[in-house]
Amino acid sequence: MLVTTFAGLTPGVFYGIIGILLTLMSQLTRTVNFSQMAVGMFGGYVGMTMIQKLKVDMWLAAFVGLIIAAALSGIIGWIIATWLPNAQIATRSAVTVAALLLIVSVSSVLFGANHSNFKPLLQTNVAEIPVAGVKLFVSQNLVVLLLFALVIIIGSSLLLKRTMFGVRLRAISDRQAAAELIGVNVKVLNVGVWVVSGALISIAISFMPNTISNDYISFSLLVIAGSAAALVGSFKNLWLALLGGVIIGVLQGFVASLPAFAAYKEWVTFILILVFLLWNQRKEVWDVAR
Amino acid sequence: MSLVLNDVTVSRGVGPVISNVTLEIKPGEITTLVGPNGAGKTSLIESIAGVIIPSAGSVVMNDVDITKFSKRKRARSGLAIVEQGRMIFPSLTVRENLQLTARTKADFDEAMALFPELEKRINNNTVLLSGGEQQMVVLARAFASKPKYLLLDEMSLGLAPVVFMRLLPVIEGIAKSGVGVLLVEQFAHLALGIASDAMVVTSGRVSYHGSPKKLTSDAELMRKSYMGE
Ligand SMILES: Nc1ncnc2c1ncn2[C@@H]1O[C@H](COP(=O)(O)OP(=O)(O)O)[C@@H](O)[C@H]1O
Ligand SMILES: [Mg+2]
Repeated sequence: MLVTTFAGLTPGVFYGIIGILLTLMSQLTRTVNFSQMAVGMFGGYVGMTMIQKLKVDMWLAAFVGLIIAAALSGIIGWIIATWLPNAQIATRSAVTVAALLLIVSVSSVLFGANHSNFKPLLQTNVAEIPVAGVKLFVSQNLVVLLLFALVIIIGSSLLLKRTMFGVRLRAISDRQAAAELIGVNVKVLNVGVWVVSGALISIAISFMPNTISNDYISFSLLVIAGSAAALVGSFKNLWLALLGGVIIGVLQGFVASLPAFAAYKEWVTFILILVFLLWNQRKEVWDVAR
Repeated sequence: MSLVLNDVTVSRGVGPVISNVTLEIKPGEITTLVGPNGAGKTSLIESIAGVIIPSAGSVVMNDVDITKFSKRKRARSGLAIVEQGRMIFPSLTVRENLQLTARTKADFDEAMALFPELEKRINNNTVLLSGGEQQMVVLARAFASKPKYLLLDEMSLGLAPVVFMRLLPVIEGIAKSGVGVLLVEQFAHLALGIASDAMVVTSGRVSYHGSPKKLTSDAELMRKSYMGE
């Protein structure tokens, strides 16, 4: 039980990274990016196909996957920035749902049924911690993902606070129309954020543990676990988004270790989303009552 | 060399809200434009700023036709707009607001010098500032871009007259430095006091154009400019 629960940490950090990216995207581009995982998935599958069919080195394949994910994400961002620059967040997000569905269906045509052996770049464990008679394995992937999450959180906060580039991004986030009027290149910056988010998710996917199911659809729908994580941080706090991801991963690991409930592992995400929505609702009712 | 609107018509939903307006803003001078609520003053400014493209007529800045320019390109060519409402970037500090438009340290310092009282607030988020201070930030930010022309849309809205009077000499100073200013205002007497040219817009048309002194001394004309016909 302890082993499985602990093993949930790696997918948990992965969900956390999705949550962090969703939070940044919603703040900087006013979009809940449901295509976040799908673009990464697409890049990942192109990379995997290159490894299998062309016997390309896996690091090179991962790099090509990254470029493709970044480009795809940039295209979606460009479409939204061009045709829906002033639309409500719901409309903008709807475009990403459409993109998600399109990417999944194109994938099934391009890659056929070839989707069972998606592997992370690193395969070994860095440490084995003996606890209460069992061994907990710390994989290289866990270490890399955790460091990556920290790099994104700390890096983005430094970028936003300390550079003019970041100041412009925050200005757009505050008042897009006013930023445009003073000469900020809103569209280029917006699309840039999309490109970077595609590249970042692609890096995370390269180290995604293979315990996470990875057919096109489940893979793309990991964005739901990511949204639940982002919800824990109210789509504002990156640290809480990471924590939310870890909670989901560990809870899933724990549930999977209970024979009677193992089949309901995926429900953890939905229950967490529900609890958080109800909790927020309760707070709002409380605020109104006062 | 001036900013010219030639026979501009602006349409919005129902129909024209600005009809065949011609005006000229000269460098170093303040043109004050007054008119009742809904007369089309904001629409006029927005057509110069590129927020709406006129359905007829042209906007020419220093002999360059900018009618079809993007908002960004207009800003780059020397047009600065202070929109209606307090258009600060609330989560940015005073310093960051000015850094957005200042191209050099000298431009930044010169803009900060307009309002020495902002100095002690420089690292505060602008959302924490008073309404008057926020307008100071917006005006300083516009000036930091070293504009050739500055359009000000009802900066006084929601400010006490005494606070607005703090802004007026600064606007005058900006004009003296060579910037052409279009001042759209409801505090007509105060705004006309610093103007060298005055216009009244009612129902989308210019109903008076001439000396500010003549306008302020004509009670009937002033009443119309507040209330409309
Ligand atoms: N975004 C808009 N869409 C449609 N009509 C508008 C819009 N903004 C203003 N109007 C209309 O245009 C007219 C002029 O408004 P406006 O330019 O804001 O006048 P003012 O600034 O003089 O008060 C009004 O009749 C107003 O109802
Ligand atoms: Mg107005």
